Amino acid sequence: MQFSLFEFLRTVCRNIDANHRANACALTVTEVEELRNIFALLLLGSFVGLPSPPSFLAVELLPHMQKELEILHKRAQDSNDMLAEMCGILGIG
Amino acid sequence: MTTFIILVGFLLYLLLYFTYGKKIEKDVLQVSDSNETPSKKLYDGVDFVTARKEVLFGHHFASIAGAAPIIGPAVAICWGWLPGLLWVWFGNAFIGAVHDYLALMASVRYDGKSIQFVASDLMGKRTGSAFYWIVFFLLILVVAAFGAIIGGMFVRTPEIASSYAWKILAALVLGVLMYRVKMNFVAATAIGIVMLAVAIWLGTVTPIKASYGFWMWIFFFYIIIASAIPVNILLQPRDYLNSWLLYTGLAIGFIAALFTFKGFEIPAVSTFAPILLGGKPTPFWPAIPLVIACGSLSGFHSLVASGTTSKQIEKESDALPIGYGSMFTEGFLSTIVIVSIAGFGYTALKNAGVDAATLNMENWGAMFTKASASVKLSKANLFVQSYADMVSASFLGFIPVLFVKVIAGMWVASFAMTTLDTTNRLARYCVTEMAAPLKESASGLYNFMTNRWIASVIPAALGIWLAATGNWLVIWGSFGAANQLIASIALMTGAAYVAKRMKSSFVNIAVIPAWLLWVTVTAAMIWFIFNVQIAAIAKKPGPGWAVMAILVVMFVLNFVFIYDFVKSKSYKVT
Repeated sequence: MQFSLFEFLRTVCRNIDANHRANACALTVTEVEELRNIFALLLLGSFVGLPSPPSFLAVELLPHMQKELEILHKRAQDSNDMLAEMCGILGIG
Repeated sequence: MTTFIILVGFLLYLLLYFTYGKKIEKDVLQVSDSNETPSKKLYDGVDFVTARKEVLFGHHFASIAGAAPIIGPAVAICWGWLPGLLWVWFGNAFIGAVHDYLALMASVRYDGKSIQFVASDLMGKRTGSAFYWIVFFLLILVVAAFGAIIGGMFVRTPEIASSYAWKILAALVLGVLMYRVKMNFVAATAIGIVMLAVAIWLGTVTPIKASYGFWMWIFFFYIIIASAIPVNILLQPRDYLNSWLLYTGLAIGFIAALFTFKGFEIPAVSTFAPILLGGKPTPFWPAIPLVIACGSLSGFHSLVASGTTSKQIEKESDALPIGYGSMFTEGFLSTIVIVSIAGFGYTALKNAGVDAATLNMENWGAMFTKASASVKLSKANLFVQSYADMVSASFLGFIPVLFVKVIAGMWVASFAMTTLDTTNRLARYCVTEMAAPLKESASGLYNFMTNRWIASVIPAALGIWLAATGNWLVIWGSFGAANQLIASIALMTGAAYVAKRMKSSFVNIAVIPAWLLWVTVTAAMIWFIFNVQIAAIAKKPGPGWAVMAILVVMFVLNFVFIYDFVKSKSYKVT
């Protein structure tokens, strides 16, 4: 494949742009995910071990929540291994 | 000489990446893209997502780059420019980058679990549990060390303090534009960069002069408030502006160093044990890892690598540029720091008031620390001035020196301040985990310790209290000891992974550095406790005993780790 300077520079610029976009919202995305996680725990926590009775809403939504339950279950399993993840998210270098 | 060293450093890193790095990839870790990474195996669109290696490299590098790769080499100039440079080059390639790469790959192979989990699995549960304690102590020392550095910098160069304050304002405005108004990203970025430049200029015309004690109080409240407010208000936009500062500083520094063509003003080697930590003769070995951390070796990197990075790697071959390569990039940053101080540091000291009779090539090791302290030129300020002079001496000299000085100062201050408040968030988490055993047995105490504000105040108060002593070289050494202790465990864990899971015949590439590092860190801690910390207690008993307690606990844990490492036969293929 022939090397094209134009393509190379275009790739570099694209990568720089992608990098900056990721930098600009990484923490915010994480915070949003955490808020969603908290909401999911409030709603469906009883299905991953939290001692709270399921609400009518949770039971109604249950058939549509397979993916959310899988994620919730995985997070519950990983909940005592959060130190490194927090270091990575917060960028403590 | 500046040009020569920069070119040699660049080419050396390139050569070692494509030889030693590739050797580890192929023969030690047996990397194969046919192995599914956790981002694919466990893909959920939330925690496990694939990211392009270029984006992941940028995120990982920005996460591990901070103020330490600048401050450490500036302190190590006491040995002359060569010893620190050799540690940054070869310590990085054979120990530090290996440590980062092994931590990342072990985490990838363990489905994204942290290095702490891997250590628990391979060496024993208590090794994993001990991470919380060492990280908690490390976080307090980080607050102390960085608080002291920034405090000294703000007092010496009030323009930097003012610029930082204006930058906070700029970050708040940028946050509104990006996340509330949802302005076009490129437009918002352009406005943000303009505001950053204006903040730097405003700082030069509206300096904030205040005492060291005043700044300690400001940092205390800043840490607590910044770590409590939603990230999109301040932290996110501030970190985004920081990334621009990082890349700009790196680019300007590289170009200036390459095109300055200046000889070095300081000796290549001064003496094996110059007067440094705690005003004591500090032997290069074993003290060098305590002085230069992030530019060569840092335990924090193993946590960052095994945190989010390992969950997003698309294929195994991406780990080499991200884990090994980003550490080399940080080493290159430290190389630029050493080159700038070696080329322009002595002039900066003389301009600050040091005369040739007090400090010269013959007595550099004996007098550097004392001479720079006598004119209140901290190592951070020494870098800032040297960097500005280096840029001024190159074809970029049209940029006003004060402007460049403030850019360099903001670079250090921004990353150090970021570390301060993220440290607090982490410390809150550590306190919660460490207090977990008290939940049933002493619920009142548990509730008190894990209260959000109490858990914030404890590490902030302890850290700032230590910083207020002003004895930052002692604190820096303690911080180095804690950081390298984590590096030691992480490298042992990486070696254990290679021995027990990979069963590679090249296991010694991981095991030998792990043993070398453990011996060095142990010897360094013994030397530091008996030669530096005991004297520090005599000067300031309160903070001295607090740091001594931390060091003793870590020293004991150090022997627990090596016992677990040996007991689990993690040093050989079985």
